[in-house]
Amino acid sequence: MSSKINGHVSPQPCPHLLVFRSRNGPKPFRALKDCIRVKPPGGRAAIRREPTEVARCGTCEESSRSRLYACVACAAVFCHAPLLHSHASDHSLSIPGHEIAVDVDRAELFCCACGDQVYDRDFDAAVVLAQTVNATATTSTSGSTAMQCSVAGSQPENLRKRRRVDYRPWEPDSGEHISRGNQSIPLLDAANASLVSSTQQPWGLRGLNNLGNTCFMNSILQALLHTPPLRNYFLGDRHNRYYCQQKNGAINGTKNSRLCLACDMDALFSAVFSGDRTPYSPAKFLYSWWQHAANLASYEQQDAHEFFISMLEGIHEKVEKDKRKSQSPGSGDCCIAHRVFSGILRSDVMCMVCGFTSTTYDPCVDISLDLEPNQGGSGKSSSAKSLNSFNVEADCMRPNQNCGISTLKGCLERFTRAEKLGSDQKLFCQKCQVRQESLKQMSIRKLPLVSCFHVKRFEHSSIRKMSRKVDRYLQFPFSLDMAPYLSSSILRSRFGNRIFPFDGDEQDASNDLSTEFELFAVVTHSGRLDAGHYVTYLRLSNQWYKCDDAWITQVNESIVRAAQGYMMFYVQKVLYYKESENQGTS
Amino acid sequence: MKHSVNRPPTPDGAEDQGNEPTLQEIINIKLIESGEKERLMELLRERLIECGWKDEMKALCRSYVKKKGRNNVTVDDLVHLITPKGRASVPDFVKAELLQRIRSFLMSAAL
Repeated sequence: MSSKINGHVSPQPCPHLLVFRSRNGPKPFRALKDCIRVKPPGGRAAIRREPTEVARCGTCEESSRSRLYACVACAAVFCHAPLLHSHASDHSLSIPGHEIAVDVDRAELFCCACGDQVYDRDFDAAVVLAQTVNATATTSTSGSTAMQCSVAGSQPENLRKRRRVDYRPWEPDSGEHISRGNQSIPLLDAANASLVSSTQQPWGLRGLNNLGNTCFMNSILQALLHTPPLRNYFLGDRHNRYYCQQKNGAINGTKNSRLCLACDMDALFSAVFSGDRTPYSPAKFLYSWWQHAANLASYEQQDAHEFFISMLEGIHEKVEKDKRKSQSPGSGDCCIAHRVFSGILRSDVMCMVCGFTSTTYDPCVDISLDLEPNQGGSGKSSSAKSLNSFNVEADCMRPNQNCGISTLKGCLERFTRAEKLGSDQKLFCQKCQVRQESLKQMSIRKLPLVSCFHVKRFEHSSIRKMSRKVDRYLQFPFSLDMAPYLSSSILRSRFGNRIFPFDGDEQDASNDLSTEFELFAVVTHSGRLDAGHYVTYLRLSNQWYKCDDAWITQVNESIVRAAQGYMMFYVQKVLYYKESENQGTS
Repeated sequence: MKHSVNRPPTPDGAEDQGNEPTLQEIINIKLIESGEKERLMELLRERLIECGWKDEMKALCRSYVKKKGRNNVTVDDLVHLITPKGRASVPDFVKAELLQRIRSFLMSAAL
């Protein structure tokens, strides 16, 4: 009954709309397009024949009805209030072919016979175009082109469709044959069958010894060891450390060329998934990372998030030397780190004076979220001043606010909310050619395979020369749907009820992946800023395990829910459930 | 104007029906012409979102659509459903603020 575009359902036209279209040629709404009036900046679209026209019903002369419709066939305006009387319906019944009308205040198409909204792609595109470009933009078109690009069709370099490759079943090549023979151990063996009985802990659970305040590293490593696409990559021998070191040794004979964090990761995976349960000391890894991030090389406690970013950079850097691969992190083709974690964020900045919007895309490997500044409320300060005693009422009337509990979804909502940049943060508007107050909105253009959310709990103030930790509890879900935070959803809600051809990409490969994610690792921090401890909780086969350096214990999920989340790792649902179907035989 | 011929004045459309524009009508037109209506609508939208009224109405619509099935609901059905509840649940402070704005507009427009 309805077709899907970009995962959004696009309604099929009603019979009256079909008849109307067939009777009125390829562009049945072209006359309407000239009547679209937009109150700047970037405001609502309305339909008026003259800019200052006061619309009134042709039958009852009323102009104060809440819904006035203009018949698309004869341009006559009628009111539509089904509870009282509908002169629009009367009109549609009296003259066949006059069923389609347009809401004059909302610029939305309506079928008076069906009593329901209908949608036309061309009309909606015209309305959106009118809303994104200032109505009086006869001067320059350079501004509109930029927006048109992101709305209508041509994509920036880093977003072009990836070429699809046919499926071929895997056969080991000669190199793989050799490495299979020498360095591999069977995961499942008749002799070792007792190792994988259901009472045992799952594969890959192995404690990591603390080498001196290295819990920041251990916690992140535990999360990465169980990141499904990363784990599959390394266990699938996609980065063979022997082969890599041989290759590197051949190019530059010096020792430094051997530095490859991916090789060290490979060694780590081999050790952790070997079946040996005694705690492992990732000393080699630590040493390699110190060489990469010399400024962080010390036995002091470091920030786990900083380590995470530094590690991904380290893996990427190694690959940069390989000229064959594409370098842009956005496409994820450059290295396994970006293939797994890299998404694309979209930032829209709208000038509040002229409505001109500039859009930029930036790759990101994680999303850092602010915790709410005040407990229990984000009421606008202007309303606080004028409403006095009604303020409390206002705050608690919001059904979404549990009066004080911060949630991950709340943080994401705030992250993607349109934010008025203050007068001290004016941004340069290309159209006005001066700095103007702006409205900024973030959204997610492309979801990564694994979404890492980092909660900004450590505040460093260079002004006050102090740092502090925010201990407030953050509630996080085990399953998360990222659909409301996608650029397509955010833009859709900005422009209202329209068929919105987002970037014109109906067959984008990224649309095949769903927006549903499952939580699989939580890195928590307890204690003070200068004296704290990181612990990771892993979710394997729907059981939770606490990884506290060398100690791994099974815990109840309520412990995890109550923990103070610092970094949360979510993987695409399609990549998660498969791996937890059958523990031990997967 | 000189009338060279005795004939009744040219019909003036609705006015001639004997319907003087009501006060409500006049106010409405003044509001629209000055652009104040647009501003009031934006203010109202902002207030109704802030106090959760819009979310409540949305939830009502969603549960109705879930019950009836997505393809069996029209816009008119939804309007019919939420209009009485919607009108009744607008918070008093929102009504007060808007009335205050309209009052001050009328005084400044010297009606």
